[in-house]
Amino acid sequence: MLSLDQLKEFGADTTEGLARCMNNEAFYLKMIGMGLRDERFEAMKGVIESKDYDTAFEMAHALKGVLGNLALAPIYGPMSEMTELLRAKVADADYMSYYNTVKEQRDKLLAMIDA
Amino acid sequence: MDEFMDGLWDDVGSMDSMIDGLVDDVIDSVIEGMVDDLYNYDPGYRRTVMVVDDEETSRAMLGNILDQEYDVIYAQDGRDALYQIGLHKERLSLILLDLMMPDLDGFGVLNALRANEDFRRIPVIVLTAEKEAEVRSLQQGAVDFLAKPFDLPEIILARVRRSIELAEDTNIIKATENDSLTGLYTREFFFEYGHRFDYRHPAMQTDAIVLNFNRFHMINELYGRNFGDQILFRIADGIRDVLMEKEGLACRYDADTYYLYIEHCEDYQALMDRINAGMSDLLQVPEVRLRMGVFSDNFRSDTFEGRFDKALQACNSLRRKRISSFAVYTNDMHEHELFWAKLLEDFELAIEDKQFKVLYQPKYDITGEKPVISSAEALISWVHPEFGRVSPGEFIPLFEENGLIQRLDHYVWSEAAAQVRQWKDAYGVTVPVSVNVSRVDVYDPHIVEFFTEVVEKNELDPQEYRLEVTESAYTDNSQQIIEVVERLRAKGFKVEMDDFGSGYSSLNMLTLMPLDALKLDMIFVRNLTADSKEMRMVKLVIEIADFLGVPVIAEGVENEEQYHLLKDAGCQIVQGYYFSRPILPDELGRLAAKEQGIEIKTDEINIEDLELKDIEALFI
Repeated sequence: MLSLDQLKEFGADTTEGLARCMNNEAFYLKMIGMGLRDERFEAMKGVIESKDYDTAFEMAHALKGVLGNLALAPIYGPMSEMTELLRAKVADADYMSYYNTVKEQRDKLLAMIDA
Repeated sequence: MDEFMDGLWDDVGSMDSMIDGLVDDVIDSVIEGMVDDLYNYDPGYRRTVMVVDDEETSRAMLGNILDQEYDVIYAQDGRDALYQIGLHKERLSLILLDLMMPDLDGFGVLNALRANEDFRRIPVIVLTAEKEAEVRSLQQGAVDFLAKPFDLPEIILARVRRSIELAEDTNIIKATENDSLTGLYTREFFFEYGHRFDYRHPAMQTDAIVLNFNRFHMINELYGRNFGDQILFRIADGIRDVLMEKEGLACRYDADTYYLYIEHCEDYQALMDRINAGMSDLLQVPEVRLRMGVFSDNFRSDTFEGRFDKALQACNSLRRKRISSFAVYTNDMHEHELFWAKLLEDFELAIEDKQFKVLYQPKYDITGEKPVISSAEALISWVHPEFGRVSPGEFIPLFEENGLIQRLDHYVWSEAAAQVRQWKDAYGVTVPVSVNVSRVDVYDPHIVEFFTEVVEKNELDPQEYRLEVTESAYTDNSQQIIEVVERLRAKGFKVEMDDFGSGYSSLNMLTLMPLDALKLDMIFVRNLTADSKEMRMVKLVIEIADFLGVPVIAEGVENEEQYHLLKDAGCQIVQGYYFSRPILPDELGRLAAKEQGIEIKTDEINIEDLELKDIEALFI
């Protein structure tokens, strides 16, 4: 079960995230669970591998929005950078490296939730 | 059994009052609801907002914030949004719209909303993380934007609140800025927008124009209010037609008056024709009595309101015109306006001081070898202490418009009756007198009593006292006038239809109208020559009069030729300067006595009348 302290330790700006949730802790944590379980976290891998950058951009952009609202900086940061590279259609960027960082942080947090 | 029934009725009675109470409650609550809708006074009233976002967490987080103050409806993409907006459009106060959505995105939704009359009023705040998208969405009709990631809830709520407030104010303005009948601006908005128009067009040459439909109540009375409303709408349509070409704005100022502010134009007749054209299939040309006053101020030397005051003065200067016409403001109109104001102010005193003088113009019977006086028409003149003689053509329309004419008429009626008595006593002659009955007098419920009393008081035979009612008064309200005239005739009074030919009586109406003489409109006599159109008209009127069994009276006879033409055509009675101008009462008395061979002693001449000699001269 995830706690606010764990979240803070993870690097989330819990003050900001909580404020967006009208300081309702349970609601905030519920939103994080809902956001992180988005299937696109998994689906993105295949899309990047197949170099379908348009679809990858749409996914990254959407997930960036969710992560930003939840104030999950360690995942939001790399997702945001990846979104901008995809928007600019930079062909030789190492998208997989960004994806791996995102995936790693997201899985870490999910594990805390499921613990 | 009876008791049982009584009890039942009591129950029914109390149920009635209960239902009445319920109905009142419902009406009260509906009205309260309307007021709340408009003014946000009731803190318990929750508006409904819609959140459109394809991300579930975004929807949930926004909903959690908005739920503090609003009922929230959710849509998960653009198509779902449009469907739901269609279902809830009446109660939606605001839409929060995500831009990036699959299929139909936020821009697509904005476009669809803007294209729909019913949806356009609902304000939209877009949710976006992109700067460029903010500009584009504002251009496409969004009222505001919210950043992503979301701002603090207080900020979101404040911006939502503000956007709803602004939109509601705008919608109230939209609902009140237009006159519901014509669709033109209401006057308050006209003046407000007029000022802005000037501000935006500092160098434009403009015209302030006042349009008024003279005696519009007649249209309502003749054809009914629905028809009247149609005419008012058509005038507005004509004005809109003008505004399609010329930059400007217009309002319905009040019942039948319109204000129009446009880029200066050269041809006012064409402008007027264009506005009148809208009525051409509903009204005959002579019935279109739209008058137009123009004030053209190329230098904006006057305030916006001041320019319309002047246009109104120009419009008022057309008070006496019978047909559609226009006037451009000139400086002397202002003088005239002041003059009219002074006349109105002096009215009471003039009655008290007997400044109104009644003169008499004899009517001659021309059926015999020699014309003989058969009666006389009482005519009024005002000898004003400051202005000298004021023409009745000047003050009668003014008093008609300002509700004073009835008092003046009563004064003349009493004077004229007393005069017939005085002629009898002083000269031993009987000269019947005719007096004018104004349009508004017809509505006076005591008119018959007034005439009866005045005749009885002076011990006259009602036959010696005649009433002239203008033809247009007959056509204005035929039901009312027929009833009044029938009552008067039943008392023995004779009624003459004045200005015949200037109104629009149909032959059928004429046969229904009670009358004792047709008095030909002066306009036919003025242009009378042997083979003229007027001559044919005179013959026609005489035939009609013959058919009705009444005599024709021709007024305005000014020369011998006219007299002979009328006599030859079979006209029985004439009146005009060729025979006599309006004269002093005693002069008429002596004239009639002389005609009848009655000897007059000089001391019977009224000294007061001698002082009026110079007044009489002014009549010439």
